[in-house]
Amino acid sequence: MSKRPTLNEGFGRVLVVVYAIFAVAAVARSTVQIISRFDEAPVAYVLSAVAAAIYVVATIALARGDKTSRSVATVAIAIEMAGVVIVGIISLLLPDAFPRASVWSNFGSGYLFIPLVLPIVGLWWLRYTRV
Amino acid sequence: MTGIYAAAMIMVGLLIAAAALVHLVINKPVGAYLRWSLLAYSAMLVVFAIGGIVQMLGTDRAFARAEFVGYLLTAVLFPVGAWWWSRNDRSRAGSAVVLVVALVTPVLIVRIQQVWAGV
Repeated sequence: MSKRPTLNEGFGRVLVVVYAIFAVAAVARSTVQIISRFDEAPVAYVLSAVAAAIYVVATIALARGDKTSRSVATVAIAIEMAGVVIVGIISLLLPDAFPRASVWSNFGSGYLFIPLVLPIVGLWWLRYTRV
Repeated sequence: MTGIYAAAMIMVGLLIAAAALVHLVINKPVGAYLRWSLLAYSAMLVVFAIGGIVQMLGTDRAFARAEFVGYLLTAVLFPVGAWWWSRNDRSRAGSAVVLVVALVTPVLIVRIQQVWAGV
């Protein structure tokens, strides 16, 4: 094993792309939800928008990869981790709280659980590339 | 939505993914053939998007139209993004990025068909 890659090298770039895909998907989805049928499930849709914003911030921070970005990425991904776990638990215990699915409902089961795995991988990568 | 064309596009996406996986495993940067195939894939998706929108305008059936168009247009951008990335990234990560995009795009095509069907 040669020297460890920095935050935005090697696997870090794959992580950036996966985050970017989630950012695009989440922004597009929540925009449509909020414009077309916000009154159906305001909580779920606001949450979708928050999740989208977090994905955007994490994508940019991971791609930039400097010292400040590392802190920003850590905070964003930690919030994402907390969000997917908390929303996942609430959506299982109180299904009525989320009548419409958000990215994080049921631990992201609608997205192959990638929303649950992604922050774990992200935090691991932040730690792995720490200097 | 024309099922055969969509199925063909899913197959093409998976073939590109397989090629990218080979590049990744043997640690070879993304070459011209793979890059051009990404652009060709985008062209196929442009045709899919136009066909989809035309079909949508020709029907009164209720389904999530905004999502439908959004997904169709996003799908076109994915392979272009991978093409651009692999041009600039000659490292192994470039192949991995193509792999991810070539796996995500077929999923998107499946999702587009679901939206069309009203799921």
